[in-house]
This record gives sequence, C-alpha cells and structure tokens, in this order.
Amino acid sequence: MIELEMRRLKHDRTEIYTRAIQPILWLAVYGSVMSHVRDIPTNGIPYIDYITPGVLLQSTIFVSVFYGLTLVWERETGILKRLLVAPASRYATVIGRALASGVRAVVQALIIFPVAMLLGVKFISDPVYIIAAFLMLFMISGGFAGLSIFVASLMKTRERFMGIGQAMIMPLFFASNALYPIKLMPPLLQSIAIVNPLTYAVDAVRGLMISGDVTNITLDFSAVIIFDLIIFAVASISFKKIIE
Amino acid sequence: MELAIETSHLTKVYDGKINALDGVDLTVKAAGIFALLGPNGSGKTTLMRILTTQFRPTTGTARVFGLDVVKHDASIRKIIGYVPQEMSVWLDITSFENLLIYSKIYGVPSGIRKKSISDALQSMGLDEVANVPVKKYSGGMIRRLEIACSLLIKPRLIFLDEPTLGLDPSARKAVWENLMSFKDEYGTTVFFNTHYMDEADMYSDEVAIISKGRIVKSGTACELKRSLHSEILTFSIDHGDIGSALRGPASAGLRWESSLLERIKALDFIDDASMHDSNLHVVVEDSEFALPAIIEVLRSEGITIQKIKGARPTMDDVFLRYAGMLPVKGGGKSRT
Repeated sequence: MIELEMRRLKHDRTEIYTRAIQPILWLAVYGSVMSHVRDIPTNGIPYIDYITPGVLLQSTIFVSVFYGLTLVWERETGILKRLLVAPASRYATVIGRALASGVRAVVQALIIFPVAMLLGVKFISDPVYIIAAFLMLFMISGGFAGLSIFVASLMKTRERFMGIGQAMIMPLFFASNALYPIKLMPPLLQSIAIVNPLTYAVDAVRGLMISGDVTNITLDFSAVIIFDLIIFAVASISFKKIIE
Repeated sequence: MELAIETSHLTKVYDGKINALDGVDLTVKAAGIFALLGPNGSGKTTLMRILTTQFRPTTGTARVFGLDVVKHDASIRKIIGYVPQEMSVWLDITSFENLLIYSKIYGVPSGIRKKSISDALQSMGLDEVANVPVKKYSGGMIRRLEIACSLLIKPRLIFLDEPTLGLDPSARKAVWENLMSFKDEYGTTVFFNTHYMDEADMYSDEVAIISKGRIVKSGTACELKRSLHSEILTFSIDHGDIGSALRGPASAGLRWESSLLERIKALDFIDDASMHDSNLHVVVEDSEFALPAIIEVLRSEGITIQKIKGARPTMDDVFLRYAGMLPVKGGGKSRT
C-alpha cells in the first residue's frame, strides 16, 4: 500500500506542490503578521518559529483527514470490493493504507520544511531530533488517516464525507496548541485540547524541531501510539461496512 | 464430479425488507464455464458477492470447493479471483505497477512475483503495453488488465461480474479468447454474470437463470433452448396453389385456409399455425416429429412446397421466457 502511494506520487507530483501552498501562506502571512502581536506567550521563541510545527502538522493532517476520500472513490469503483476479496487480512489493508497516507504526509512535510527555513525559521540541527519529529509526523498522520478510513466506512458518499471532514479539521487545529498555548484557551476548549492527539504531536514536534525541550516526549509519543492503536482497531472493524 | 459451488436455500434480506435472494439452490461443476443470467435487480450481483465472501447470507448455506462462505471465508479468498463490475485498477499508474501492487496484496511470494505478473500480462495479451499508464488504455484493455489482476494467483475459480459490459464486439471477443485459453491451460472454473445472451450461448458450459432471487431454470444452453418446446417452421407455398383455391368466391378461399390450419393444428407436437400471404407459419414443439406430418397434410391438399425454413429459439427467447417477462407457455418469438 505504501508502495502504491509512492508510485502514484511518482507519476503525478502536482498534488504535493499545490497542497504546500496553503501552509506556506499560513507561515508567511499569518505567522509574520501575528509575530507583531506580543501577547502570545511563546517562551521567547519567535512566533513564526512557534507555529511552524503546528502548520507542518496541519498540512500533513489535512492530507490524512481527507485520505478517506480515496476510499470513497475506490468504493464507487470496484477496487475496494477487490481488496475485500483478496487474501490479505482486513487489518493489514486498513493499517497499510493508513501508513501509506503517513508516507504521503511526510513527503508533504519535506516540501514545506525548506520553505520554512527560507522564511527564517530556526530548526534544531540535531538529525536525531529531526528524524524523531518526522516519525511523529508519520505516526499522527497515519492515525488521522485511520480515523478518516473509519469516517469513510460510515459516510460512504463524497458529499457526506466532505461535510464531516471539513467539520473535523477546524476544531482539531484550533483546539490544539498548534497556534497558541493551551493556557490561553477557555476551559472548555482546554479540555478538548487535552484529549486532542494533535496537541501531543505538536508538543513533540515543537520540542524536537524548535525549542529543544523534550521533557514530555515520552507522554507525547505514548499518547499518539495509543491513539493510533485504538483508531486502527476501530477502523479495521468498520472497514467491511464500507461496501455494504 | 467435483463441485466448485454449491448453495442451498440461500437467502439475503437487506435492511429486513428487501429479499434480494429468496432461496437459491445452485450447483456449479468444477473446471467449467458457468453463466448466470437474470434481469436487473434479480439478485445476480448479490449472489456473487456472497460467494466471494463480501456479504454473509441471511440464511442458508453456500460452499466454494467445499468451503463454507461464512466459516472458511479466509480460505476461500486464497483460491478465488474476482473482477467486479466497476473499474478496479488504478488509472494513474502503469499496468505492470497495478499487477505489482495486486501481487503484493494477494501475497504472491516475491520469488515468483515477476513470473506471475508476466504470465498474467501474457494471458491477457497486454505484455506490449505493460509500461503505459492505464489511463491511456481503451475500455477493452482495462477490462483485460482487471482480469489479469485476478489471474495472478492462478485461482481455482474466477468470478466475473458483467465482464464485457460496454465493450465493442471485437474487444468482447478478445476478452473471451484470452480467458478461454487461460482456463484451458490452468483448469480454472469460470463463473460469470451477464446480460449478453450470445456470450452465455457461445462460451458457457452451463447456464442458470435467476429471477426475483430464485434460480428459475438451469442446464446447458442447448437444453434451455430445447426446453422452450417451440420452433417456428415457415413453409413457402406455391402461389398457383393458393390462386386455384381462391378462384371461387372469397368466402370459399377463407374456408379453405381455416380448414387447412385446423388440420395442421390437430396434429401432434403442434402449438399454433397461421397463414400470411403465401407463408404458412407453424409453431412446433419438436420439428423432427412434426415436419413429416405437416408435409403430409400439405400434399394431401395438393399444395406444392417451395421452401421450408426453421427458426430455433435463441437464448434471448429463453431469457425472456424464464426471467418472468413472458408467460411460460406459448407464443415465443423466434428469429432465423
């Protein structure tokens, strides 16, 4: 499945480039404007640097959350039926596809990464940290792709799926620490942010790429791993429903 | 005789309301080609999807090479190939890549992967275009690729849902020729749904007709056609004979015609008889027995026969009759 995504990307790279436009605008426009607002406590990190991990994750998660659309399309064609009739187990199919989306997401992040550097974002130069950050990107994107597969198996049509996908992406992004620290949020939003796996991913990537503060790294990785495992199990169980 | 498929009292109810299958009893012999015919919505696709383990039946049992579709679904998936009605390949990559991905999904061991792919490409006559992106293919080529994907594991049984839908006659022929040669080489059983009666007639060893979720008739194409018990014999009669019969008053001519028809209808194996201009049409159950008797009657009336034409029922007639679109007895349409 991962190979499938790589081969598809090899044949048509346009999608990767066009999808990079939005996050780059976030960084270049929103980031540079907001950096003049001194009220957001970022522990002394320039604001544009502060939001870079969030924007990187947002762009990769956008890819993942809409990954289910591929499945909805495949449902309308015969590909899904054929996959269900293949000897591979349904768990393998779901996890394979979710991880394939993770690969797509990492490729996406690799495009944005140098642009952020050009915009003056200072990354930590330790390769181990950067690799760990990309591993986190990969894991969280895979998890959200699993979530997307789950939603696709219930929604089944493009229109319904788009509605849910749009409804999911905004709260995910804003009810997390991607753009501002959790402390600034009203209590309700704070409690959402605490169960939002994106919060942990952002924390890890920010620690690994920008601040170098990795005190919570074990918690962050554990939270995302638990999220992935639950989502993969749920998505595999509901996957069969997609063709009914 | 080994059975590839065996179902008993199979039912499928959707949402507690719609009876898609209503007690299907069916057997399919191994290593043959089996055609399932039926109108839209008759349950063809549902049956195929149960047999390919996509759905569970509501009640009843179904076995594929002796394996139960509910209990042994994983084992069944290892020995079957399936080509759905809808497109089932990725268009943005080449056919070699499609086969490569599918060979991995199907778990073809890496040592024989290359060989399996080249065999599949060759079986479907696609070896020369293996590295062309699929979006540049014609409809017939895409269909052949889809079939090739399901041949990778050399399945014992291959299911084809409307395999040639929307293809032109030459593309249909190419699909079937490739499929037949693969079947002959590997002894694969082929089970297909179709609306094309000529395909069922030409390529299948056995045919079953499904209507409203039940199998209403099964047998070889020849048996089904014969089972209609109707063949239309058309006798072209010499104009002179009719002229002499009609030389008298018009009413006498009519009397002559109706008495001739009555005499013919009274014979054994005759369903109906009618006269149009100088053509006498007789619907017979069995022409071998009916023909001599009819000739006898015509001779005794002093009529010279110029030409006799027989029209046997086609699979279209069989389909129309059994799929519940025409009453079971009488009046089938036939073509020469």
